[in-house]
Amino acid sequence: MNSLLLDLSLLFMMVAIIPCVYRVIKGPTIPDRVIAVDAMTTVIVVMLGVYSYVQESVFFMDVALVLAIISFVGTVTISKYLDEGVVL
Amino acid sequence: MITTEIVLEFFSNFILILGLMFVFLGMLGILRLPDVYNRLHATTKIGTLGAFGVMLSILMKVGFTPIGVKAITVGLFLLLTAPVAAHMIGRAAHRHGVDLCDISVIDEYDKTYK
Amino acid sequence: MKRYLFYSIPLALMWCFVHGSVTIENFIFGMILGPIALRPFMPLFKVGGELSFKDAIVRIPKQAKYFAILIIEILKANIMVARIVISPNIDIKPGIIAVPIDTKTNGGITAIANTITLTPGTLTIDISDDRSVLYVHCIDASDPDGVRTSIKNDLEKYVLEAFE
Repeated sequence: MNSLLLDLSLLFMMVAIIPCVYRVIKGPTIPDRVIAVDAMTTVIVVMLGVYSYVQESVFFMDVALVLAIISFVGTVTISKYLDEGVVL
Repeated sequence: MITTEIVLEFFSNFILILGLMFVFLGMLGILRLPDVYNRLHATTKIGTLGAFGVMLSILMKVGFTPIGVKAITVGLFLLLTAPVAAHMIGRAAHRHGVDLCDISVIDEYDKTYK
Repeated sequence: MKRYLFYSIPLALMWCFVHGSVTIENFIFGMILGPIALRPFMPLFKVGGELSFKDAIVRIPKQAKYFAILIIEILKANIMVARIVISPNIDIKPGIIAVPIDTKTNGGITAIANTITLTPGTLTIDISDDRSVLYVHCIDASDPDGVRTSIKNDLEKYVLEAFE
């Protein structure tokens, strides 16, 4: 029962990525794409968390932590580049 | 003590399903809402709280083992950084020249920096 | 020196959480690493005035009250936006509203901007150059004065109590 729920949740998150991919490809403006990539990272972090529990392995949770940090830094960097034209 | 485990199991499954629903609705919001600023509402609020809920449910399932502690760290980190990222993207989008959608009623930020 | 010790405590806790096991050995090792990580970034903190452990401890009950209110507001915000997303016809009146604030310190402004972002229907876009007006994107902007008074009465009071 429990593992069925977790497998279904992984499948559900795969479905949730589809709108983000649509918005990355179609999105009329650049900020739209940035938001979509950011949201996709959130979904992947959730998937990695659930998968770490399924596999009983702590390494996937490390990957999730580093991915969350990189996503935040990347979003801030791209926003600053769009705003001012320079990164640093 | 068997009842405590059953209650904890029930609540963790409940929070897991609720969190997954919220993440899915956030991504649906990216698809349906009309412009950049409204999509930011969807991802920062619903997506982040949904992710935090999933991480909290993992903590309730495994207790204070390394997996659980790291899960709650990821959840708190997402909850802390999402408003900052949303603020940066919103400011950059407005200065980059992205207009508000047609059904907007008021824009008091427009005349302050041009 | 006191300031290094003060900022090292949250860094040491964070070290424990990232390491995955909260023990006293990890905490002490984090306290040793904290000042080394802080040293290159110290010129960025232009903090004025003295800070003391006593002030920080006195504020804890007020901050607990603030976080309780924040959690309730976050839940309300999620239910509201979720209802908008799943409704068949999206019927919203978005807009950007200028909201004057009384908070002056850096920490207070950061706290109120993040609080506004996490509460129902509002999202901070920018702050004016003289740091007295926040520009808030609102998902239902048909009543600008109502938004201003609700932010001032419901949120800013608790932020001022907790962070100034």
